Amino acid sequence: MKRKLLALLMTVAMVVSLAACGSSEEAATTDEAATTEEAATTEEATTEEATTDATAEGEVQTLTVWCWDSFNVDAMKTAGAMYEAQNPNVKVEVVETVSSDIQTLVQTYAMSGELDALPDIFLMDDQVFAKYLQNYPEVFSDLTDSGIAFSDFAASKVANSVRDGRNYGVPYDSNTVIACYRTDYLEQAGYTIADLTDITWNEFITIGEDVLAKTGMPMLTNVQGEPDLLNMILQSAGISVFDTNGNIALVDNEGLKEAMNVYIQLVEKGILQEQTDWSGYQGSINNGTVVGTINGSWICATIMSTDQAEQAGNWAVTNMPKLNEWEGATNYSAQGGSTWAVSSSTDSYDAAVDFFAKTWAGSTEFYDSILTDLGAIATYLPAAGSDAYNQTSDYFGGEAIYSKIVSYGGQIPTINKGIYWSEEKEALGVALANVLGGSSDLDSAIAEAQSTVEFNIGQ
Amino acid sequence: MHSKRNSLTVNQKHNLTGWIFLLPAALLIFAMNFYPMLQALFLSFQSGIGNKLSWGGLSNYARLLEDKVFWTSLINNFFYLLIQVPVMLILALILASLLNKKDLKFKGLFRTAIFLPCCTALVSYSIIFKTLFAYDGYINTILLNLGLISSRINWLGQVETAKIIIIIALIWRWTGYNMVFYLAGLQNIDESLYEAARIDGAGPIKAFFKITVPLLRPTILLTTIMSINGTLQLFDESVNLTGGGPANSTLTMSHYIYKVSFEYNPQFGYAAAMSYVIFILVALLSFIQMKVGDKR
Repeated sequence: MKRKLLALLMTVAMVVSLAACGSSEEAATTDEAATTEEAATTEEATTEEATTDATAEGEVQTLTVWCWDSFNVDAMKTAGAMYEAQNPNVKVEVVETVSSDIQTLVQTYAMSGELDALPDIFLMDDQVFAKYLQNYPEVFSDLTDSGIAFSDFAASKVANSVRDGRNYGVPYDSNTVIACYRTDYLEQAGYTIADLTDITWNEFITIGEDVLAKTGMPMLTNVQGEPDLLNMILQSAGISVFDTNGNIALVDNEGLKEAMNVYIQLVEKGILQEQTDWSGYQGSINNGTVVGTINGSWICATIMSTDQAEQAGNWAVTNMPKLNEWEGATNYSAQGGSTWAVSSSTDSYDAAVDFFAKTWAGSTEFYDSILTDLGAIATYLPAAGSDAYNQTSDYFGGEAIYSKIVSYGGQIPTINKGIYWSEEKEALGVALANVLGGSSDLDSAIAEAQSTVEFNIGQ
Repeated sequence: MHSKRNSLTVNQKHNLTGWIFLLPAALLIFAMNFYPMLQALFLSFQSGIGNKLSWGGLSNYARLLEDKVFWTSLINNFFYLLIQVPVMLILALILASLLNKKDLKFKGLFRTAIFLPCCTALVSYSIIFKTLFAYDGYINTILLNLGLISSRINWLGQVETAKIIIIIALIWRWTGYNMVFYLAGLQNIDESLYEAARIDGAGPIKAFFKITVPLLRPTILLTTIMSINGTLQLFDESVNLTGGGPANSTLTMSHYIYKVSFEYNPQFGYAAAMSYVIFILVALLSFIQMKVGDKR
């Protein structure tokens, strides 16, 4: 009897919990249905009727944005707030999504044809933008005739999101490479930032050895297996690893060998400390266990995010070393950066385009504010003339670093890049690790990298 | 219609009821498991990038033979398999028989402590291990302070140490899981057998090898198959602990499949072909295990 009662109680409990689940699910689905319906009506309102009608109805259109890093999120929120102030019927909602997640999600939705699941606007890493545009053109909205003035952006940056002469992206942050060093550490070793400006890698290595001997601190840090620094050296010297047809050209590439030799020397002499991942990289900078770093100018935000108050004022910005005697070698390069894209499935194409035209591609005031508040250096040319770029940064020793970075930007050599960037990067990372680990010499490591990339292209 | 239904025998009726009960689950399994598997098989015969796929026949499988990175990852997987699985299972067996001792105090506490690692998410424990063994991580700091090493060791940056750390992590995570199976198996072994052995003068080690191991054979077989299956599909540790590095020396097959699908220009057909290779390997190894190990 007792057992029967227990069984009965259990059954009742189960039924109740199931019913509860059922009802909440139902509620969720009706909710969802309501929002999609709403979205559908908004779309009708904007496309078929005049936009003013939509305002009159008081319906709020939401632009959902995916981007990563608090830095980008805050910049987008600033743009959103500015636009919302003038257009109360539009709401910009920013969802923080990691860069690699955006890539995976875009790909998954494109493969499954579920483009509706994409947000209205998303940010994409410049290194993979071309690859996604080529592989999944159906994801991107054509922005060529949208009225956005692409000529207002740095040409090399715009080119990254162009396919067959059509524009598919709104350029965002600057990818100009800078070298940042701790002046207090340099001082301990008897150097100043001027000693590290306009120098070659050979000179850098001599200084680096000296600094290491005197302070015990490596000059640079880099993520192991991710040859970002190597790629920066290559571009600074105008050395392409792809030929003009997009084929990989690593073997017999003397420039590549020279650049790899520099990298290997840096690691072997302890001047560059490799980190296992990005957080290790970031940590070494923020914890003050490294003298400096060379990266895209967006690294300033990382440098400033330390909890060590004593670092403020002790950083300085200069250009990167150049590749010794190499013909065409410069002290300038590019790394990272990202571009906004409007997804093709958006119900609010007009609103999205208008939003960009009035903020990201039309407001120097906006760029001034993100530069001042966030240190976000963009590629919007009209903004470079503004006074905001001449402001000094106390964090970086009271120097006008922004105008300095902008002046570097114009001197970056262009190289051939292709859609096989990730494959190349990885193969070179493996090659470097093999040489550094002693399991292979430089020539055979390069030959192996060449065959790996060729294999991947050969599909 | 009516007459027909009435003509069913009792047996047939029972069968029919059984099938009706099975139907929902069977349909779900078919839709969620077997249909995607068939799709993947179909996909593995197609080649191309992204959505632009065309029929390629066996070209993906032929391509596998030439793919050095795939072979590296296959060898890595077997390295983990050959070292980690035996060590882990033997350790689990020893722990289980120790914890099965009648006179052991705080048995529950020990059992829980050893089983707890299984409750941590794969990603979290990988990240914890990575933090521990980071260049300026906890392990290096302790060893340095104890004077055991003179300079920091780049644990995850060197081929040998990176492999060893993955194996240590795997053993930490999965030993307790296998131990629970052995503990369950041990409950079915009659205590009188051990008593008889003791009377006949057999020591605890002899009893372990002559009684415990043979009687646990079905459980050992089960755990071996599960561990082989799990090790061949290893993914989280490779991705989160080492990122497959240095120089692909810790890359597993599943991690490579992910890279081919999501990091490189996507080659889903090729990735599907690799998945089928893992599937066939698991099936083959399990078959051999069952033939060799199951002597009932």
